[in-house]
Amino acid sequence: MIGIVIVSHSPKVAEGVKDLADQMSQKRVKVVAAGGVDDQTIGTNAERIYNALLEAYSDDGVLVLLDLGSAVMSAQMAIEMLPEDKQNKVVLSEAPLVEGAIVAAVEASIGNDLAKVNAAAEAASTMRKLP
Amino acid sequence: MAEIELEVTHEAGLHLRPAALFVQTAAAFEATIEVRNVSRDTPFKNAKSALEVMMLGVNQGHRIAIRAEGEDAEEALEALRRLIESNFEVDSPAEEEEQ
Repeated sequence: MIGIVIVSHSPKVAEGVKDLADQMSQKRVKVVAAGGVDDQTIGTNAERIYNALLEAYSDDGVLVLLDLGSAVMSAQMAIEMLPEDKQNKVVLSEAPLVEGAIVAAVEASIGNDLAKVNAAAEAASTMRKLP
Repeated sequence: MAEIELEVTHEAGLHLRPAALFVQTAAAFEATIEVRNVSRDTPFKNAKSALEVMMLGVNQGHRIAIRAEGEDAEEALEALRRLIESNFEVDSPAEEEEQ
């Protein structure tokens, strides 16, 4: 089963999205929050993301959901810190953070592979909210 | 091909946790399972896809139709019926599955 890492500039956003994802998957999926520079500071931190990648890692791979801007750069740096054989099992997702995490958590919980989970999460951007 | 139609009474409709439980329950069966929102007159969609289920826009009070084909189709429909009629309070088979 794949793991999921939630990267946000805000530690609270990352934790909150993780809580939502955990409820969706009934905690059957390893979801790790990597928000903020540290627990108090807004920003992103490659080392925090690196540790989250290691925690979420399995041979099935890890999907990384991001908010904006430097989150992408920090996540790319974090991936480069991984051993090479693990690097190609980590995918950065274009998915919207909240909707993507909700969809990804369910899709991962039923055992879908990394590519399929990411495709569903990215397609969540087309999901309408208003009636 | 077996088919059932029933009303979703949960206040969240088929979104968030109910949608997750629905998909996880469906995914526990081998049968091909599809669901459509009768109230919105949508086409049938894959019941094992979180996104497709949520995109049906099933709100409280909507009627849905579920159809299944395959060896365990009847059991699948029965499990989904129990899940919805219990207002998503029963343990789904998916919850009992090994991690």
